[in-house]
Amino acid sequence: MTNGLVLAIIGAALAALLAGIGSAKGVSLVGEAAAGVVSVDPSKFSKVLLLELLPGTQGLYGLIAAMFILLRTGVLGSGAEALTLQQGLGFLAASLPIAVVGLISGIMQGRTAAAGVSITAKKPDHNGKAIIMAAMVETYAILALLISVLMILNIAV
Amino acid sequence: MAKLRMKKIELIAMLTDSKKIIELLQRRGVVEISQNTDEELENTNVTAVVGEFEKFRSTAAQALEIIDTHAPEKASIADMFSGKTEVEKHDFGREAMQMEKVMGAANDIIRNQKLINESAAAVSQLEIKCDMLDRWLPLDVPLNFRGTATTSAFIGTLPYQISAEELEAQLPDMCSVEVISGSKEQTNLFILCSKENYEEAESILRKLTFVTISETDNKTPSELYDLHKQEIEKLEEKSEEAKANIEKLAENRKQLQFVIDYLQMRKEKYDALSGLGFTETTFVLTGYIPEKYAESLKKEIEAKYTASITFTDPGDDEDVPVLLENSRFSAPVEGITKMYALPAKGDVDPTPVMSFFYYLFFGMMLSDAGYGLLMVIGTTIALKKFKLETSMKKTLTMFRNCGISTVFWGALFGSWFGDIVQVVSREFFGKEIGSIALWFEPLTDPVKLLLVSFGLGILHLFLGVAVAFKMTWDTGKKLDAVFDALPIYLIVLGVAPIGAGMFISVPPVLTKTGAYMLIAGVIMLVLTAGRTSKSVFGKFFGGLYALYNTATGYLGDILSYSRLLALGLATGSIASVINLIGTMPENKVIKLILLVIVFVVGHVANLAINLLGAYVHTDRLQFVELFSKFYTGGGREFAPLAVNTKYIKFKEENSND
Repeated sequence: MTNGLVLAIIGAALAALLAGIGSAKGVSLVGEAAAGVVSVDPSKFSKVLLLELLPGTQGLYGLIAAMFILLRTGVLGSGAEALTLQQGLGFLAASLPIAVVGLISGIMQGRTAAAGVSITAKKPDHNGKAIIMAAMVETYAILALLISVLMILNIAV
Repeated sequence: MAKLRMKKIELIAMLTDSKKIIELLQRRGVVEISQNTDEELENTNVTAVVGEFEKFRSTAAQALEIIDTHAPEKASIADMFSGKTEVEKHDFGREAMQMEKVMGAANDIIRNQKLINESAAAVSQLEIKCDMLDRWLPLDVPLNFRGTATTSAFIGTLPYQISAEELEAQLPDMCSVEVISGSKEQTNLFILCSKENYEEAESILRKLTFVTISETDNKTPSELYDLHKQEIEKLEEKSEEAKANIEKLAENRKQLQFVIDYLQMRKEKYDALSGLGFTETTFVLTGYIPEKYAESLKKEIEAKYTASITFTDPGDDEDVPVLLENSRFSAPVEGITKMYALPAKGDVDPTPVMSFFYYLFFGMMLSDAGYGLLMVIGTTIALKKFKLETSMKKTLTMFRNCGISTVFWGALFGSWFGDIVQVVSREFFGKEIGSIALWFEPLTDPVKLLLVSFGLGILHLFLGVAVAFKMTWDTGKKLDAVFDALPIYLIVLGVAPIGAGMFISVPPVLTKTGAYMLIAGVIMLVLTAGRTSKSVFGKFFGGLYALYNTATGYLGDILSYSRLLALGLATGSIASVINLIGTMPENKVIKLILLVIVFVVGHVANLAINLLGAYVHTDRLQFVELFSKFYTGGGREFAPLAVNTKYIKFKEENSND
């Protein structure tokens, strides 16, 4: 295993790791707020569940980026490539947007969605607005995923 | 069609017909009644009657809730979607006749529930007592035993563990100690002393923090314990009986639901009456009615009753309610418009504007033909099989249309449950199939799809600008309409080839034309955007500011459409990962079993999460990117006097459906 390959794997690990942490934190933030609402009115469960799911996507984006790195470098499937140091660093750098933005936007989206839970509690009909507000935060995770994937797909191996 | 034209209705009729006419209006559900503001007419006070209805309704609702906890109706998925029970109108009347009997049952149910609650409270009290007595069971004298003629007895506890001998050593002679029971935290003791040692023993015991038990009953602990247990049994029997009663009374469920709906209807009818204005023999009703229902309603009422109905156009300063009506293609998306805000007075209905792109973008984001098929099949079955509420029907139809679009995009991109076709043929038949895409696979050329996304985004934005153009044009400010829209078209179209040139090779003719369009657009924008300002400086800087805003705003808007690519990639790649995990083992049999399990679980989860993603982000593209170009919103929903029932539905034709 070359040093380059190790760096690429570290990149994949970071993408899954940091974005996953962001989602876990975000989902738990919403979950705490949602539990309070459900304890008063259990019928709102499905509505707050939607909100709770929203910060969960960053973790998935991290997973996607990690999978792409593993596929491109052949760790999954065709057999590992002998990457140069530069190529490895390239994959590591490519993993950073979704890793870091995933971590932070996951937590931030969690906070927005947790605040949105109170909309659902007081005005259940306006649940959609709370969802849209939380979805605004996600835009940046999507942009980060996009740029990470574009980089991963275009690094010459 | 879009926003229905509203008319103001004024109805004058005989007082004696008032209730009948209101009932008719309620069944038709097409008139929103306004509060009478004419001071020369009398208002009627219905608070007492409405309060009465509300009291009965809440009793019935409470009883229904109790039934539902003790004898829940077996609810299948079919029931969840099955909507309301249909009844004939005369059936409903007969049901209403039995109201006293049903209300009696409701009170019975509530009384039984109260009994259950009370005995539960009593039982828990007794159980605490039994717990306490449990520790004293071996004692064969009553707990209030204080001694005989020559002896004194202490019954109580020490808050630590101690043996009989240890305690006897500390007490005066002629005292005997019996440990009834004990634990680490406390020792329960029976101490017998001779009368003359009583005071000495008591002071020693007090120092040892001995606590005498307080009990007034002169039965032995085991007797008391048995008594309590018997009582608990009795209470529980009673409670069971009450439960059985409730379960028997649960047969009134349907009737209770009818009564609740009936009372709700009556209440709303009386609320409506309070909005009317009265003279001694006539009443006046004012309100709003959609124009298309106006004439038929007028004919119907004037044929049956002595009444005069006039329709006028609402004035400009009036708060006219909004009712949407759209074609079969667009109507399903109305719910999305409502979620944002209903159109205000000056707005057009954005539903028909966005419906096509809504379906298109949704499909592009989910972009898996297998998932799309599941959506289409699921929603079609639900629509066919269940009697649904109108709003539910619309939502399901929307998802069905989105599903069709998803199949379309999935087929173009060759994604059927990810790459399951390729995976199965490679792993089980040893044949490489390659791509089955009708167009191309996004993974092989993401940049192409990115540009397609931006292109569709530009079309979407242009549509919004075009609507704004038409709205301004229609108000007569034709020049303003042109100056608002044209520079944007020129600039965006001009920049597009240059932007695309960064990724792919663009013919130089296009870039050159683009550059000219860009320059023309910029000049036009800078010269005209500040036109409302008075000073020359204001005009110039207003123009520059508009240029900056247009540049950053539209750049951000267009880039935002990259989510079409990103979410599509997300669905496809997670689907492929699921298939990859399913085919990891070498052994073909194990592989097959694992693949089936992973396939079902994995794809259901992936569909669920990406469905949510596609829904949320399609909404966002409409709300933020499209609506910001022309839409304000903030209208009030048309709330007609109607039959707002929860459980039943009249078989009679309801023209508002």
